[in-house]
Amino acid sequence: MGTIDDLSLKDVTLDRLPRLKRLRELHFATRPEICVELPRNITRYMRHPDNPADSPELRAGRLYKYVMENKRPVIADENLLAGTTTARTIGVVLYPDFMALSIWPELETVSRRKKNPFGITRAEIDELNFDIFPYWPDRTIQEVARKDNGNPLCQRIMERIVFYIATKVYCISHTVPNYAMVVERGLLDIIREARERGLSLGGSKEDRAKKDFYQAVQLSLSGVISYAANLSREAERLAAKEVDTKRRQGLLEMAEVCKRVPAERPRTFREALNAIWICKIALHQENANVALSLGRLDQVLYPFYAEDIKRGMTPAEAVELVGCFWLKIADHVPLSPETGEELFGGSGSNQAVTLGGVDMKGEDAVNDLTYVMLKATELLRLRDPNVNARYYPEVNKKEYLDRLCAVNINTGATPCFHNDVSAVETLIGQGVSLEHARDYSSVGCVEPSSSGRAYGHTGCILMNLTSALEMALWGGKHRLTEDEEVGPKTKPAVDMTSFAEFKKAMETQLGWLINQVVTLNNNLGRAHQEIHPTPMLSALMEGCIEKGKDVIYGGATYNSSGAAMIGLADVVDSVTAIQEFVFDKKKFTMAEMISAINADWSGPYKRLQVMVKASQEKFGTDSRMARANADWLIGFLHDTFQSKENYRGGRYTVGYWTMTNHAGFGALTGALPNGRMKSEPFASGITPVSGSAPVLTSCLNFVARMDHTKIADGHALNLKYTPSTTTLPGFANTIEAFFKMGGLQVQFNIIDRKTLEDARKYPEKYPDLFVRVSGYTAYFRDLNPHMQQEIITRAEYDLATGTEI
Amino acid sequence: MFDIEKFISGLSVDKALDRLGEKFLKSLEDETAETFLEALLAFMRIKFMLDPAYRKNIEGFRGRYQFRSRDGGVAVLVKFEDGDMKIREKASDDVNVIVSFKDGRALMNFLLSANRDILKGLLNNEVVVTGNLNYMYKFGFMANHLQLELTGNLP
Repeated sequence: MGTIDDLSLKDVTLDRLPRLKRLRELHFATRPEICVELPRNITRYMRHPDNPADSPELRAGRLYKYVMENKRPVIADENLLAGTTTARTIGVVLYPDFMALSIWPELETVSRRKKNPFGITRAEIDELNFDIFPYWPDRTIQEVARKDNGNPLCQRIMERIVFYIATKVYCISHTVPNYAMVVERGLLDIIREARERGLSLGGSKEDRAKKDFYQAVQLSLSGVISYAANLSREAERLAAKEVDTKRRQGLLEMAEVCKRVPAERPRTFREALNAIWICKIALHQENANVALSLGRLDQVLYPFYAEDIKRGMTPAEAVELVGCFWLKIADHVPLSPETGEELFGGSGSNQAVTLGGVDMKGEDAVNDLTYVMLKATELLRLRDPNVNARYYPEVNKKEYLDRLCAVNINTGATPCFHNDVSAVETLIGQGVSLEHARDYSSVGCVEPSSSGRAYGHTGCILMNLTSALEMALWGGKHRLTEDEEVGPKTKPAVDMTSFAEFKKAMETQLGWLINQVVTLNNNLGRAHQEIHPTPMLSALMEGCIEKGKDVIYGGATYNSSGAAMIGLADVVDSVTAIQEFVFDKKKFTMAEMISAINADWSGPYKRLQVMVKASQEKFGTDSRMARANADWLIGFLHDTFQSKENYRGGRYTVGYWTMTNHAGFGALTGALPNGRMKSEPFASGITPVSGSAPVLTSCLNFVARMDHTKIADGHALNLKYTPSTTTLPGFANTIEAFFKMGGLQVQFNIIDRKTLEDARKYPEKYPDLFVRVSGYTAYFRDLNPHMQQEIITRAEYDLATGTEI
Repeated sequence: MFDIEKFISGLSVDKALDRLGEKFLKSLEDETAETFLEALLAFMRIKFMLDPAYRKNIEGFRGRYQFRSRDGGVAVLVKFEDGDMKIREKASDDVNVIVSFKDGRALMNFLLSANRDILKGLLNNEVVVTGNLNYMYKFGFMANHLQLELTGNLP
């Protein structure tokens, strides 16, 4: 399989790939601009050609045909791939039926705001304000779900923000489309199959629904092919005007590529990359790109790479093509209103690429393209795509792990590491077949998902665990919402006489919160079924064509919904502190504990805070008490969520990754019993609270020994290593040991505090400094102050001594 | 609510807008921002009546807003229909959106970009919005526009 002798491809540098170097510089020098093309086209269609009497699927099919046919073909630079997500070089896509209206108040200030400003012209502001946005206030997913369900409690609670977020209000992404289907068949073949299946159906109600779905697939995919044809014509037009012979030739080659793909099966590596890229553009028109992930590209594209290598392509040329693709992936940025930036900002689109691991037979799947993709990642150091590396100890070679570690050291933040043994076992526990489990990809941050055949919306719920802790302490009330009885009435903690009583109250509040959030997600899912089916995504998902059913109706082979929990370590440490100091050692009463946190651990309570913080009973240590509480909490969440069915007939899974929400929710939350003060960020992902797990080995043991089959939506263990002590053998050995103990996933920032502090002070000096947040990478300068502070103060381990600095 | 007609009686169109604009800007500087809502609504209403470019914001728009102070002292119903804006001192649940606010300052911080401190508003439970948030987004644009125009900061 291997033809590359030097796995690091050290002779391939940006200086030797001047195209990539220029494109990278352009990427960082370009300010993102808001693009009105998509909302303009959607609104025009909905106002005029749309027929509300048609089924939701048919309406969606016709809409996306119109959108793709009318999408401007943009060839903006010297990238080898054609087309752009927006009509801009780097654009912000607005989805009017999702959350675009949230930027309405800020249209006239968004270009001047301090954090993450977006360009917009006066004419575009007026078009959005007077023409586009006024059509939508009663037609967004959030409003349809509210109206259909009578402004339910579950939705009103979400709008208080501190309890949970349900992401279906802005997308149904968080999945991996089946790009293998694109490069193995081409879209015309999928259209042919949809047509034939439709023609074979009868006139029953069920058959008519299937016919509409097949019709929608044909319509939307024909729109994608039209867009590719427009790109081809645009390349020819530009070539005709071009005086530079080399550039003209390049444009003519691009025109030929777009004439063929994605309609037909690609013949070359370049055509295959273009085919996937054009389909990705199309998918972005249908759904906001929130972790719409790419899957195992080193597997999907390897046959094309290998053929081209035989024909004379060099690995350097392959790196250039992959680099062009990586830069395309980063050609758009998400929209966030100013409040969102303040609370949760800095995230990219979290488009995960998955490399390495084993194949469906369980054999080593690492190939030369894996190393080519790692090289492109190392050279470009981009926030997106989010590179995830799979590793199967004793099947994958150690030299592969070494290379992964070297890339992580050289980039400071990527890739992250997944343990195939644990991930496959976890997926099998969710009913996925062995072969399909082995063929998993990471979605978004860290969520394992069978590639191209599972619709798991792995980030549909982001739940703040500390809000359940609050309600357990105050008998159903929350400090933020003051006297309102939000949760069920339970005995106030001051009146409790045992730790068991407190745990019971926690379970009551957690159970209630889970009911609310599941109800909301199901309501929102039904709103999508009503007004926003997704024929393009469904066409590229195993199971949908076979069943004649859109993904939003349960067409995919595997269906689930993923809930990410925020604040795990803080809650475990808080519960443990209550057990240790209030009930076991009786160092102070529950009333005193509550007074202490109400006083933000100030004044006379400072002494208690020192005592609590100095305790050895902490998440991420050798503490049996903390372990038991962590196991109880993880077990309860898993069992309760798994008992719920989603609107597609699948189950809910639980994960522990937080994106930037541990900082956002932390900013909204008062002091906690673990000694944490008001507004401080929570610990990220499944990571211990900073300062509470001083010994690296104990920390890794603690997380590795958790029951990962109860963490089916993945976890992010975020560790920070001091660069000067991070040697490649030490780094690789630690990961190997963690995985052999059963650890599911781990990721590293290899950067020191001094550099981060300098970057906070002088962001202009570090335009491309990127860091791992909790499951994904972000540019440090784009993060909000809470998040920057969390990364700076995150525990930093000296790998040589294994202790926290 | 204060008597707009009396406040601007006998003034030319430009002068009336100037005086209401001044009152609105002054309310923003007020420590307690007690008069913020009435100054905003009064200025907005007259602006709709006298400025065709601004009136374009509500052509064909129907929306009902309820603004309520937490202590019950303020209950204002704002209706947009037939290209007009109507303000009533009245509590109603038959609206698209309800905004409950702790005080004028909290509401001001919530609505205006220059003073935007929504995080603080959420932290302190100062403003709670119930209903269709999209209507608030539209109202937020119209309020922000007035402030930007008055302070010479329109893009």
